[in-house]
Amino acid sequence: MKTGISVFLASFFALGASWFGMVYGSIHQLGSAKETVILQSSDNWPQQRTGEATLGLQVYRANGCAACHTEQVRQTGVADEISLTSLGKYSAGDFKDFMKSIMIAPELLNVSNNIIGGLETWDGKLPRTIYSGQDSAVVASLGDKLKAAGVKADARVVATGSDIWRGWGMRQSVAADYLYDVPVQLGSLRAGPDLSMIGVRAPDVNWQLKHLYAPRSVVSHSTMPAFRFLFHVRKIGAQPSPDALVLPKDFAPADGMEVVPTTEARELAAYLLSLKANQPLYEAPFTPAAAK
Amino acid sequence: MSDEIKSSGNPPDAEPTATRSAAPLWIIVVTLLLIFFGGHYLDTHGGLFDARVYAPYNSPETLEAMQPQTGAAAVAAHGKKVYEAVCGVCHGVDGAGKPGQAPPLAGSEWVNAKGMNRLTHIPLEGLNGTIKVEGKDWSLNMAAMGAALPDADLAAVLTYVRTSWGNKSSEVTPEDVKKVRDAIGGHAQPMTGDEMMKMPE
Repeated sequence: MKTGISVFLASFFALGASWFGMVYGSIHQLGSAKETVILQSSDNWPQQRTGEATLGLQVYRANGCAACHTEQVRQTGVADEISLTSLGKYSAGDFKDFMKSIMIAPELLNVSNNIIGGLETWDGKLPRTIYSGQDSAVVASLGDKLKAAGVKADARVVATGSDIWRGWGMRQSVAADYLYDVPVQLGSLRAGPDLSMIGVRAPDVNWQLKHLYAPRSVVSHSTMPAFRFLFHVRKIGAQPSPDALVLPKDFAPADGMEVVPTTEARELAAYLLSLKANQPLYEAPFTPAAAK
Repeated sequence: MSDEIKSSGNPPDAEPTATRSAAPLWIIVVTLLLIFFGGHYLDTHGGLFDARVYAPYNSPETLEAMQPQTGAAAVAAHGKKVYEAVCGVCHGVDGAGKPGQAPPLAGSEWVNAKGMNRLTHIPLEGLNGTIKVEGKDWSLNMAAMGAALPDADLAAVLTYVRTSWGNKSSEVTPEDVKKVRDAIGGHAQPMTGDEMMKMPE
C-alpha cells in the first residue's frame, strides 16, 4: 500500500484528537474535583453519605430507578430580582407615582415600560417582585433609589428554567453534586420527577417507605410501579412491629397482617433522603432564603 | 484529495491506482470557516475551560458578577462602584493618583490614619492649599466631592479606599460619617493642610 503511512498518520491524528478532547480534557478539568464551599456558609458540599445511604445507592441502581428518574436539574438562565418588602412612607398609589418619577434615569429607560406596566395591575400586596433581569446596573440604580426613598427591597439572585419552576431544584446540578456517587445515577428519562433534592422535598422516611410500597397511597396520580418485594407482608406476632407501615385502608394488608420494610427498603429510603442538592454554590449561585 | 481512477495505459486486468490531485479551493475555504466558527464558539461558550463555569454563564467573570453579596462584600462592591464614579476620575481607579493634581490614596498616611476623622473631613469639606503626602508636597484644590453623598455611600467609599490596593485599615461606618457631618454642620468650607493637622485624627 503506497499511502499506508498517511492513512496511519491520519487515523492516529483523528483518534488521538478525540481521545485528547474527550478523555484527557475531562480528566484534566474534573479529575481532581474536590468538595466545594456552600455560599454564605462555612459548610462543604457535598457531604459523605452514611453507610446505609451508600448501600441505598446500590439498591437504587439494582432496581433501575434511573430508568424513570433523573438526578440532574437544568437551568436556562439566572436573574437579578428586586422584591419590595416595605413601602415605607408610601401608599401603593403614591409608590406607583414615585416609580414613574424615577424612571427618567438613563439606565432605567429600557426597563421602565416593563416595571411600570407590571405595577399597573398590582394591588399593593407585599412582597412584590418589581424587576427580574440580568442588568446589574438596573438593579444597583433601582436599589439605591428605593433605599434613598426609604422603601425596603431585597435584591436576590435566582436561577431560572422549567426545572426550577417545577420545584425540582433551586439551581442547576453541577459536577460536585456527584462526588460521592459511584456510579452516578444521572438518568435520562423523566417518567417520574427529578430526584436531585427529594430529601428536601419529602424529608419524612415514613412517606418514602409508604411511597415505595404503594405509590398511590401518598400520590394519587402516581404512575410508579409498587416495589412490594422490598417489604415483608407477614402475620402480626405477639406484638405488632414498631416499624410496620401505617397505610390508608385501600392499601393496608388483610387483618392480622403487617407490612415491614426490608433492609433494602430502608437503605433505599436513606439514600433518597440523602439527595439534598439545594445549596447555593459558587458555580451555581443564588441568594439563599433568609434564615427564619 | 479526490482520487481519480486511472486505468488507461494499463492492461485491462491491472489494479487501478490512485493518483494525487489538488484539493478544491472551496474545501479549504469551508474548512477554514469551520475552524473559525469553532474557535469563536469556544470563546463565547467555553468558559475558558474553567471547571466551575457552567451554562448559562459563559466566562468566569459573568459567574463572578452573579454571586449574591451580603455584608462586607456588598459594602465593598458598592464602595468600588461609587469610588469609580466620583473619586476615580482624579485619584485613579487603582488609587495611584494623578501627578500634580491628585495625591495617591494607595499607601497614603492620610487614608491609613488610625482614626477616620481627618479622612472623612476631606470629601465633606474639600481641601485647598498644600499638604504633605508620603513625603511629597501637593498643592491641591479639591472640592467637597462627598458632601452630596448619603452617609452609607460615603462610608462605603471610605471603607473601600481604606481596604483596597494594599491598604489594610479599619472600616468606616455610616455612623462615623454622620458624626463628622453633624460636627461640620452648616459651615463647610475647604480646609488647608495646616488646619487639617490641628484636628484630631
